[in-house]
Amino acid sequence: MTVSTDRAAGAAAPSAPAAHPGRRRRSGAPGGALRTALEVLFFVGPALALFLVFVVWPIIRAAQFSLYRWKGFGPLTDFVGLDNYSTVLHNEVFTDAFTHNLFIVVGSVLLQMPLGLAIALLLNRRIRGQGLLRTIVFVPYVLAEVIASVVWLQLLQPEYGVIDSLLSSVGIAGPEQGWLGTPDYALWTVLVVLTWKYLGLAVLLFLAGLQGIPTDVVEAAQIDGASWWQVQRWITIPLLGPTLRVWAFLSMIGSLQLFDMVWVLTGGGPANSTTSMATFLVTEGTKRHNYGIAAAASVILFVVALVFALLYQLLVLRRDTHDRTRLARAGGGA
Amino acid sequence: MKRTAFIPTLVLATALAALAACGSDDGDDSADGKTVITWWHNSNNDPGKSYYEQVAKAFESDHPGVDIKIEAMQHEDMLTKLDAAFQSGDTPDVYMERGGGELADHVEAGLTKDLSESSADVISELGGSVAGWQTDGKTYALPFSVGVVGFWYNKDLLAQAGVTAMPTTWDEMDQVVGQLKAAGIEPISVGAGDKWPAAHYWYYFAVRECSHDVLTDAVTSLDFTDECFVRAGEDLEDFVGQDPFNKGFLSTEAQTGPTSASGLLVTGKVAMELQGHWEPGVMQGLTEDKVGLGDKLGWFPFPAVDGGEGDPAAALGGGDAWAVSEGAPDEAVDFVNYLLSDEVQQGFAEKDMGLPTNPAAIGSVSDPALAALLEVRDSAPYVQLYFDTAFGQSVGGAMNDEIALLFAGEASPQDIVDATQEAADAEK
Amino acid sequence: MSRPLIDPDRDLGVPAPGDLRPRKRPRPSAAQGGGSPLVYVGALVVVALTLGPVLYAVLGGFRTNAQIAESPAGLPDPWVLDNYRRVLTGGTFWRYALNSAAVAVITTALVVVLGLMAAYPLARYRFRGRETLYVAFLVGLLFPATVAIIPLFILVTRDLQMGNTWWGVALPQAAFALPITVVILRPFLMAIPDELEEAALMDGASRVGFFFRVVVPLSGPGTVTVGVLAFVASWNAYLLPLLLLQGDMKTLPLGVADYSSQYSSDAAGVFAFTTVAMIPALVFFLAMQQRIVGGLQGAVKG
Repeated sequence: MTVSTDRAAGAAAPSAPAAHPGRRRRSGAPGGALRTALEVLFFVGPALALFLVFVVWPIIRAAQFSLYRWKGFGPLTDFVGLDNYSTVLHNEVFTDAFTHNLFIVVGSVLLQMPLGLAIALLLNRRIRGQGLLRTIVFVPYVLAEVIASVVWLQLLQPEYGVIDSLLSSVGIAGPEQGWLGTPDYALWTVLVVLTWKYLGLAVLLFLAGLQGIPTDVVEAAQIDGASWWQVQRWITIPLLGPTLRVWAFLSMIGSLQLFDMVWVLTGGGPANSTTSMATFLVTEGTKRHNYGIAAAASVILFVVALVFALLYQLLVLRRDTHDRTRLARAGGGA
Repeated sequence: MKRTAFIPTLVLATALAALAACGSDDGDDSADGKTVITWWHNSNNDPGKSYYEQVAKAFESDHPGVDIKIEAMQHEDMLTKLDAAFQSGDTPDVYMERGGGELADHVEAGLTKDLSESSADVISELGGSVAGWQTDGKTYALPFSVGVVGFWYNKDLLAQAGVTAMPTTWDEMDQVVGQLKAAGIEPISVGAGDKWPAAHYWYYFAVRECSHDVLTDAVTSLDFTDECFVRAGEDLEDFVGQDPFNKGFLSTEAQTGPTSASGLLVTGKVAMELQGHWEPGVMQGLTEDKVGLGDKLGWFPFPAVDGGEGDPAAALGGGDAWAVSEGAPDEAVDFVNYLLSDEVQQGFAEKDMGLPTNPAAIGSVSDPALAALLEVRDSAPYVQLYFDTAFGQSVGGAMNDEIALLFAGEASPQDIVDATQEAADAEK
Repeated sequence: MSRPLIDPDRDLGVPAPGDLRPRKRPRPSAAQGGGSPLVYVGALVVVALTLGPVLYAVLGGFRTNAQIAESPAGLPDPWVLDNYRRVLTGGTFWRYALNSAAVAVITTALVVVLGLMAAYPLARYRFRGRETLYVAFLVGLLFPATVAIIPLFILVTRDLQMGNTWWGVALPQAAFALPITVVILRPFLMAIPDELEEAALMDGASRVGFFFRVVVPLSGPGTVTVGVLAFVASWNAYLLPLLLLQGDMKTLPLGVADYSSQYSSDAAGVFAFTTVAMIPALVFFLAMQQRIVGGLQGAVKG
C-alpha cells in the first residue's frame, strides 16, 4: 500500500487551493460535543456498520476458521492449531498455485510494461484520431473478465477455433489438445489473454503519466539535437518512473488475486497447471467443504499480498517520495 | 475534542449489535394445526416434477393433517441450498443423501435421523443396496435409485469397426480400441476436465484389483497401503498409455454441451464412454429431439482384470436416497417409507426417473440398455459406492486430483496412493 | 481483478468542486513527434489486436455454425440475424440482465450514499479518532474480497439468510467498495471552501443541513466517479455472485459462462449471447468514459 496517515491527512487535489491542512476549520461547531458525536454517528455509522459486518467480520472469521477443522456445519469445536496452515503449505496443489500466481505477477509486468509503454508512446505522438484510439485500446479493460474469457475460449478452440485455423494457414499446427488443454501451454495462454484484457489499463495510465511530463524539458533536449528515441530513452521514460511503479504495483496485487479468468478458461486444469491461490481456496471451501483449509489458504493469500505490498513500498515506491519532493522543489509537480 | 473520543467505539458497538441481531429465525412448523413436512428434491422437470406432486397429494389424502411442502430444484441449486441448510441447522424434513463420507459427516453432526427401526421393513426389502447409506450398522437413508458405472457405446460405430462381441477382459478391450483406431474412430471420450469421470477408471480398476475386504476396510480405517491400489493405478497407466481418449480430453467437461464427453458420444464423435446410469438422460438432454442415441445405445460392464483379487462381477456405482432430518416429525418417516413403496417406485421406474431399488419395481424399467445395467447391478455380489462419495469430498477430491494428473502423465500410480493417504490421514 | 487503489497523496485527476473552469484537454506535447506512416501502421496493428477478438465475436453472432466451421476467419455470408433474435427473445438474457442491473444499482446506491455520508465528517469534522477511523477504511483497501470469500459466503447464506438474493450480493460488494470511495471523496469534500460552510452556518443552517444543501450538490463529479467505478465493478463481478446466486437469480457474467459451457459447440450462439452481454458495459463505458478514465487515472497518477 502506498498510504500513510500523515500524508493522507493533508491530501487534497492540488487544483483546489482551499484545502491546505493548515487552514482547517476551527471546531466552533454549533451544539456541543454530544451533538458532534451524534452527527458523526449519523454520517459514518451506516457505512461503518456495513464495513464491519461485510469486511472486518468475515476477515476475523477467516482467521478463526483457519484454526479449526470444520466441515461447514455444527459448532467450531475441532481446534487444530496451525495444522491447516501446514497442510496448505505442504499441499502441492497450493504450492503450484502459488508458483502460478508468481508466474502471472512477473509475466504480466514483463509483457505489459514494454508493450504498454510502446503503445503509450505511439499514442502520445500527434496523430489523427488519438482520442478514438485511446478509447479502443481501453475497450478490453471494460469488459468483464468472464466475457473476455468466453470469447477467447471460442477463439482458442482446438482445430476449429480461429486462432488455430489462422496458424494452420501459415503452416503452424496448434497443439493437439488445444492451447488450454495442454499443460505446458495453458498458463502461458492464460497470461496472453490476461495481457490482452489489461494492457489497456497500462496504456491509459502511462499516457496520463506522459502527458504530465513538462514539455520544456523535452523541448530543451530537442533543441540540443536529441532524436525522438533519445528523448524517450533519457527523459520521458525515466520521468514516467513513478507511474510505472504504481501501475506495476496494481498489476501485481491483481495478479495475486487471479480467479475469474482461470475459472472460466480452464477451471485450474488441465492437470492443475493453471490453478491460482484463489481457485484453490474456492475449491477447498465450497467444493470440498474443508472450510478450515480454505480459510488458512485465504490468510496465506492475504499475508503474501501484504508482504508484497510492504516490500514493494519499502524497496520501490519509497524512491518516489524523494523523487517527488525533488521535482516539486524544482517546480515540476505532478 | 477529547469528549468525542467515544464515537468510534459507539459506532463499533452499534454495528456489532446489528450483527448479533442477524440470527436465523426458525419457524417452519404447523401454520393451521397441520403437520408440515418440507421436501426437497431435484426432479424439477416433467414428468418427475408432476409425478412427485401427485405422490405427495396421495400421501396427504391418506394422512389428513399432513401438509407436504415441495421444493423442486435444479440439482446444483439443491446442493448449494442443502449446504446452507446444514450450516444453519435449518434442514428440510425430507431430502436427498448421496451416502458415504458426506452422510457420515451429517450423522456425526446429528443432522440425520436413524431409520434402522422405523423403516426396518423397507430396509430388508431393499437388501444390499442400502449398504452405502449405513454407518456403524445403522441405516440413515433409503436409496430410491441406485445405478452402476459401465461403458456406454454407439452400436453403429463399433459395428463399423468390426467389433462383434463386447470386451469382457482388458486384453479384449485393448483390441477393441485398436480396431476402432484402425477404422479412424476416436475410441473413448472422458471428461477429465471435471476429474471425477477420469477417476471412475481408477475406482473401477481398484474394485477389480482389490478384494471386497480390503475395500470395506479402507472405507472405515482409511488405510490404502494394500498393494492392490498401486496395481489399479498401473492398470490405468497402461490403458492411458494406449491413447484411447478423445482429443483434448484433459480439458473436456463431463456432460455440459456437445463438446463434453457425453456430447461427443451422442453426436457420434466417439464410440464409447465410461459413465454412470444417468448417461441416457444426459444424452437425451444434449440432443434437439430429446432422443439421445436411441436404439444405437448399448451398455457393457467394466471388463475383468487378469489376476485381480476383486470379484469380476462386482460393480462400482451409487445413487440417491431419501433421508429424514433429525428434527423432522414422525410423519416424515412414514412419507419416506411411502416413497419406497412398490407403488411409488413402479411409477418412478415407468417414468424413467431413475433405477428403482425396490425389487417389485424392477420389471417396470423399459429401456433395454438400462435393463442390462440393472441386471448387472442386481447380480453383483456388492456395489462399491463411488470412492469420492464413500471417502467424503475431502479425501475424494485429493484422490480425483491425482488421478487426473495420471491421465496427464504427471503422476505415478504410487502418487495416487500417497496423495489419497495423505488426505485421509488429515481426516483421522 | 485489479481493484484500483488510491494513493491519497496524488492528484485525483478530477476537477475539484470549487473549480468551475472547463477542464483543459491535455495537449499532446509538440515534442512527442507527429504521425509518420509507420506510426499509423503501428496504431493499426494495436487496434486490430485489441478489437479483433471483440469484433470477431460480434460478427460471429451474425454467422451460422456451418459458416464458422467452414471458414473460421471469414465474414458473415450471408448475414444471419437468427442468433441474435434467439438471444433477445429467449428470456434468460433479460432475466440475467435484470439481475445484473438490480445488483449493480443497489450496490452503487449504497456506495454513493453511505460513502458520501461517511466521507463528510471524515473530511470536515474535527473529533478524536477521526484519523483512526479513516485509517480503518484505508486498511480495507488491502483486503480483496477473495480473502474473505468463504466466511462471506457463510455469513450471507447462513447467518443472514440472504443467499440467492440481490441484496445478498450487493451488500458485501458495497462494503468492499467503501474504502476506495471514502478515499476518493474525502479530499473532494475537504476542498469545499470553508467560507461556504461559514456562510451557511451564519444563515442558521446546521452542519447536517450544510451537508444536504451544499455538500451533496457540490460533490456531483466525485460521486459520479465513485458511482461509475462501483457500477462497473458490480456489473463485471463474478466470484461473489458465483457462490451466492443460482438459477433465475444469476447475473450476466454467470449467465455468459453457463451459456458458453452448455452450448459450447453452438459457437454462433455463444458469440451472439456474449456480444449482447457486452453491449451494456460498452455503452455505459462510452457514455461515462471521461469519468472512468479520470477515476482510474486519478487513482494511480504519478
